[in-house]
Amino acid sequence: MAETMQLSHINTPPAQTWNYLRVNDIALEVPVPEDHGAAFNRLPRIFDGIECGLGEEARNWIVASVPEARYIEVPAHTKRTDPIVVVATAGENAYSDTGVCIREGAEATVVVAASADPSGNAITAALTRIIVERGATAHIVEVVAHGGANQHLEGLGIDAAKDARIDVRQYFLGGASVAAGMACNLAGDDAAFDLSCRYLVGNGELLDINHIVRARGRNTRENMAVSGMLADGSSKTLRETIDLVHGCKGSQGNEAETVLIAGEHIRNKTLPTILCDEDDVAGNHGATIGAISPEQLAYMSGRGLTEAEAVALFERSIFDDALIHAPEPISTAAIALRAEAVLGNEISNDSLEALDIVFFKEV
Amino acid sequence: MARTNVADVNRSLYDFVMPEVDAERYADGLTPDIVRAISEKKNEPEWMLEKRLKALELYQHMEMPANWGPSIKGLNMDHISTYVAPNTKRTNTWEDVPEDIKNTFERLGIPEAERATLAGVGAQYDSEIVYHNMRESVADQGVVYTTIEDAITDPELEPIVRKYFGTLIPMTEHKFSALHYAVWSGSSFVYVPEGVTLPFPLQSYFRLNAQGAGQFEHTLIIVEKNANLHFIEGCSAPKYNVANLHAGAVEIFVGEGAHMRYSTIENWSKNMFNLNTKRSTVAKDAHMEWVSGSFGSHVSYLYPSTILAGDNSDCEFTGITFAGATQDLDTGCKVTMNGANTNASVNTKSISKDGGINTFRSSVIIGPRAENARASVSCQSLMLDDMSRSDTIPAMDVRCATAQVGHEATIGRISDDTVFYLMSRGCSEAEARTMVVNGFANPISKELPMEYAVEMNNLIKLEMEGAIG
Repeated sequence: MAETMQLSHINTPPAQTWNYLRVNDIALEVPVPEDHGAAFNRLPRIFDGIECGLGEEARNWIVASVPEARYIEVPAHTKRTDPIVVVATAGENAYSDTGVCIREGAEATVVVAASADPSGNAITAALTRIIVERGATAHIVEVVAHGGANQHLEGLGIDAAKDARIDVRQYFLGGASVAAGMACNLAGDDAAFDLSCRYLVGNGELLDINHIVRARGRNTRENMAVSGMLADGSSKTLRETIDLVHGCKGSQGNEAETVLIAGEHIRNKTLPTILCDEDDVAGNHGATIGAISPEQLAYMSGRGLTEAEAVALFERSIFDDALIHAPEPISTAAIALRAEAVLGNEISNDSLEALDIVFFKEV
Repeated sequence: MARTNVADVNRSLYDFVMPEVDAERYADGLTPDIVRAISEKKNEPEWMLEKRLKALELYQHMEMPANWGPSIKGLNMDHISTYVAPNTKRTNTWEDVPEDIKNTFERLGIPEAERATLAGVGAQYDSEIVYHNMRESVADQGVVYTTIEDAITDPELEPIVRKYFGTLIPMTEHKFSALHYAVWSGSSFVYVPEGVTLPFPLQSYFRLNAQGAGQFEHTLIIVEKNANLHFIEGCSAPKYNVANLHAGAVEIFVGEGAHMRYSTIENWSKNMFNLNTKRSTVAKDAHMEWVSGSFGSHVSYLYPSTILAGDNSDCEFTGITFAGATQDLDTGCKVTMNGANTNASVNTKSISKDGGINTFRSSVIIGPRAENARASVSCQSLMLDDMSRSDTIPAMDVRCATAQVGHEATIGRISDDTVFYLMSRGCSEAEARTMVVNGFANPISKELPMEYAVEMNNLIKLEMEGAIG
C-alpha cells in the first residue's frame, strides 16, 4: 500500500464563509508523490501564475506526482483540427500536467478525459493550464467518467487575453470522490467565457466543484450554467465565484444553477458568490434546487411517464449531451462506458445509435 | 458618464456627546475581577457568575475566524471599558431620569414615540437600563417587560430566565458571544403569555455615550402559544476617535402558533465595532419576521438567525444595509429549517458608496426532516461609485429530497436605460436617479414602523445631485 498524505484545502473559493458549514474547502487523502528525480519535466514558468481552482496545495501535489509535464503550442493564426487530448486513467497515465499556449488569433480544442475501471479504487488527476492569447479561441471539453471507488482531481486554469473566446464543457459522470477546480482569468478587454457544466452524482458518490472567473479586462462576458442530478445517497458541493475586479468596467457575469434531487439522503451544498469592486458592471446569479414537483409529475403521468422513467430521461439527457459534444474517440469511449454502467446496455446502445456514434468496446 | 451623487448621511441628530458625570466606569481591559465586580454589582445568583467566568475563559482561548469576515484591527479590548454605568437608578417615571440622559433620549424622540405608538419602552444608557415603562393595560394581560437583572431576582421569573437564558445562543458560538456572556449588562426581558396580542410594539433603545466603552445588552423574548408581539430595537452612539464595541445578544423563543416581529434600525457611529448575535427558534405553525436596517458602525458582523423547529412554521427576513466611507458591513441572515412544510423568505438590499464595503452573507440549511420545505433568497446590491465594494456570499445546504430552494442575486449600478426612460417621461436626470434609488430602498422601508421609516429616509438622505462627471 502506497504511503498517503492529506490535501486539506482543496477547492477553496476566493471568498469564504462560516466554517461550520464545511463549504470552504474539501480534504482528500492522496498518495505521497514518488520522487522522479528530474528537474526538466516542468512546464515553462509562465504557467506557474495560472490559478486552477483546485488550490495551490493540490496543484503542487499534481505537479510533483507527474513524471513528465507536457507543453503544447498552437501557432498564431492557425486552426488546429485535431483536439489536444489529455488522458488520466488508472495505471501509467494516472496523473497529467499539461500546458497549452494558443497563440494570437489561433483556435484549438482541448479535451480532458478521465476514466478508470469501475472495479478499481485508483486515484487519477489532471492539471491543465491554458494560455489563450489575443483574439484566440479555446474550446475545452472535460469528461470525468469514473465509477466504483475511483477518485479524481481535475484542475483547469485559463488565462485569457484581449478578445479571447473560451468555451468550456464539463461533464462529471461519476467517481467515488471527484474534486474539480476551474479558474479563468479574463485579463484582456472584451474577452468572453462560457461554461456549461453538467453532472450526475450517483449513490454514495461525492462531487466537489469550484468555479472561479475573474473579470479584469473591460467589457468581458462570463456566463456559467451548471445543472445536474443527485441520486440517492449522493453529495455535491458547488462553489461558483464571479470576481468583478476593479477596472473591469462594462463587464457582465451570470451564474445559473439547476439541481434535480432524485433520491433520498442527498446533500447539496451551493455557494454562489459575486464579488464586485466596480460600479459599471452587472453580476447575476440564479439557482433552483429541488425534486420533480407533484405538478410536473402529474403532467408527465398524463403523458404516460412514471417518475422513475422521468428521472431516467434526465440521466440519459446528460449522457446524450456529453456524447454529442465529445469531439474525439477517447472521451466518447469514456462516456459510452459510463453510460452503459449507469443506464444499462439497452439504453446506452440506443443513445449511441440515435446519435450515430460508432463505438467499439475494448475487449 | 453620468454619476449619482448621494449626500453623506446627516448624523448630527445622533452625534451629540453628553459628559460622563459621576459615571461608574470600570477599568479598561478584561479580567476575572472585572467580571466578578459586574456580577456582584448586579447581586446575581451564583449560577450566573459561574456562567460569566466560564465565558471569560472561553473568550480568552477563542480566535476570530482567519478566513472570512472584515478585519477587526483597531479593536483592542485592553482599551475598552466593559462597564460604564450612569449615576442613576432605574426608574419607570420619565421625570426621575437625570436631566442629561433625559435630554439625550428626548433628542432621539423616544418619549414622544412612547406616548404615540408604543406599548412599552426600555432605554439603556451605556451599560445600564435607566428607564423602563409599560402601559398598564398591557401589564394587566400578564405581559412582562422588564430587565433580566430584575427578573433574575424575582422568584416567579427567575426559573424562566434560568430555563431560557443562553440556551439559544451558546457562549461557544464565537469569540464575541463568549465575551458577551462574560460581561453582559443591561437587558430586556419580555414574556408574552399564551393568546395575548399586544396592540402596539414594545421598544428598547440602546445609547452608548461613553468613549472607549462596550455595550453588551442581552435581550430575552418569550412569546407563548398563539401570542403576538412586535418588538423594536434602536441603537445609536456619538462618534469618537477611539473604538467602541457593541456585542449584544438577542434570544427569541416563538411558541406554537405565535407571531413575532423584530424590527431594528442599527445606527451606531462610525467608530463602532458591531459584533451582535441574534437568534430565534420558531415552534409549530408560528411565524418569525425580522426587519433590519444597518446604517452605522465601522465594522459589522450581523446575521439574525432563525431556527424553524416546528412543522408549518415560517420566517421572513427583510433587510437593507447602507455602507458609506470607512464602513465595512458584513450583514445577512441564517435560516435553519428542521420542521416539515416550513417556509423561509429572505429579501435584502444593499447600497455602497464612497468606498463603503457591503457583504451580504447568508446560509440556508434544510435538514433531512424538513419535508416539503420551501426557501427563497433574494439579494440586490446597488453600487453608487467605483470606489465602493459589494459582495454576495449566500450558502445553501439542502439535505432533504423534497425541499425546494430558489436563489437570486444581482449587483449593478443604476441603469442608463432606466434613467433615459424616466427622462423621456419628463423627469430631470437628478429626479430620475432619485426615483430609482428611492424605489430600490422603498420595499424595505415600507416594512419598518413609520417613525423608523422616517429615520431611515433621514439616514440615507438621498439627495441626488445628478452631476455629470
